[in-house]
Amino acid sequence: MQMTTGALDISWVELGVTSLFIIAAGIISLWGRLGLGRPLLTGAARCVLQLAAMGYVLRFIFDLSSAWIVFSLFAVMVVFAVRIIRGNVSEHAIPFVMPAFFTMFSVYALISCMVTGVIIGAEPFWHPQYFIPLAGMVVGNSMTALGLSLDRLFSDLKTKKDTVEMMLCLGATAKEASRDIFNDALKAGMMPSINSLAGVGLVFIPGMMTGQILSGEDPMLAIRYQIVVMFMLVASTALTVVIVLGIVRRRCFGPAQQLILTPGKSPGKSN
Amino acid sequence: MGEDMPCFEFNEVSFTWPGGRTILHRQSFTLPEGGFTLVRGPSGAGKSTLLRLMNRLEESGDGEILYRGKKLRNLEPTALRQQVAYLQQTPVIPDRSVREILLLPFAFRINSGKTSPSDDALYKMLGAVQMDDIGLDESGIALSGGQRQRLSLLRTLVAGPRVLLLDEPTASLDSESRRCVEDMTEAACRQGTTVVMITHDGFTPKTLPAVEITLADGRVSVCR
Repeated sequence: MQMTTGALDISWVELGVTSLFIIAAGIISLWGRLGLGRPLLTGAARCVLQLAAMGYVLRFIFDLSSAWIVFSLFAVMVVFAVRIIRGNVSEHAIPFVMPAFFTMFSVYALISCMVTGVIIGAEPFWHPQYFIPLAGMVVGNSMTALGLSLDRLFSDLKTKKDTVEMMLCLGATAKEASRDIFNDALKAGMMPSINSLAGVGLVFIPGMMTGQILSGEDPMLAIRYQIVVMFMLVASTALTVVIVLGIVRRRCFGPAQQLILTPGKSPGKSN
Repeated sequence: MGEDMPCFEFNEVSFTWPGGRTILHRQSFTLPEGGFTLVRGPSGAGKSTLLRLMNRLEESGDGEILYRGKKLRNLEPTALRQQVAYLQQTPVIPDRSVREILLLPFAFRINSGKTSPSDDALYKMLGAVQMDDIGLDESGIALSGGQRQRLSLLRTLVAGPRVLLLDEPTASLDSESRRCVEDMTEAACRQGTTVVMITHDGFTPKTLPAVEITLADGRVSVCR
């Protein structure tokens, strides 16, 4: 290994040696007849290809340094995030893709711009070297949170339909009747971020900080970046989840504030 | 409002589930104000759906339902449900104290201006349904099936609805609880509440005349 730009270089040959780790995992799978050989191989191949592609794309974008390209890439990241959420949420009777896309895009754009432009002071604020990695972390984090929250909201509204309708029958509005369910869904989405805040530095060392330290950066600067990122992740997750859950909850009720999302039945329709 | 104004008026109302099952096919009938109406019909005929249409838990498309002369679709849903209360077949009792369960309607904005009953009044209500031995601080989920049904009926009555829609309230109750629930509904009707009750057995009110509605194959027949 040679030292380049502050970090010790990894050659392609050295990188090839790390495939032994995957082979070791494959042997364990074979030995235990776990049937994980193929997914392990596919996963490893995808990991290498996707990261290599990402490396070339980032280098290209850094060289171009165009705001349009940066925001277009950002939009593509959000589109993929929403697609993944759509795949992970089992309920599709209530449309949530468009609210999720526009909310994620606006919230992340706002928070990422605040962080890169105001706190880090990057010039210009969309400087790809800062904007894209930070946006990537925010998109990934909020994607998980939103998926968890939506799944919880839909599943609770279906399984607790009788409780919601009991409250509606006593004069509650749709918002009042689903308040506990909404709060539980919000908590389900927020808990991973809150746990990360509590565990960072004690239970785990975050990837970004590790990367900065490995690349020869002063650990104190890496820590300051990490704190900014952690706070940014919590804020963007909270905002995104609250807004999207609010819109989607409204869509789960009809014009008479009746619950239209019910187990084993499509929304009631009269002829 | 004229004395002969019906409580509910169905005009050419149809309702079909998306799967194609027809519950109502262009049916017109009225339900009297202040009376006791029994709804009968085979399982799956749509008796519950009929009641749910009356407080907009389901929405009809074709035809019009009028409540006290006003189009149901023009009425604000929470205000309607405060007047037209629907009690589900299986009582829903949250994990809260008996006091909180009974006062639940007052937790909602629609009843925020109303004074909630005192503990003495709540104990009196419990006594009237043979639940004197139940404390207001006891957990509701520890109650028996019959006690839960009585408690949920009391919770519905505590906000003073004008119409009570009851979805087989005595199904799977022991004879004592059944008698108690039937007495409660008759007492509410005597005090001016319109009662519409689904029943599978041969129940008829002991002290009041009742209109009988039979629902089958999307058609309603009324026997006064």
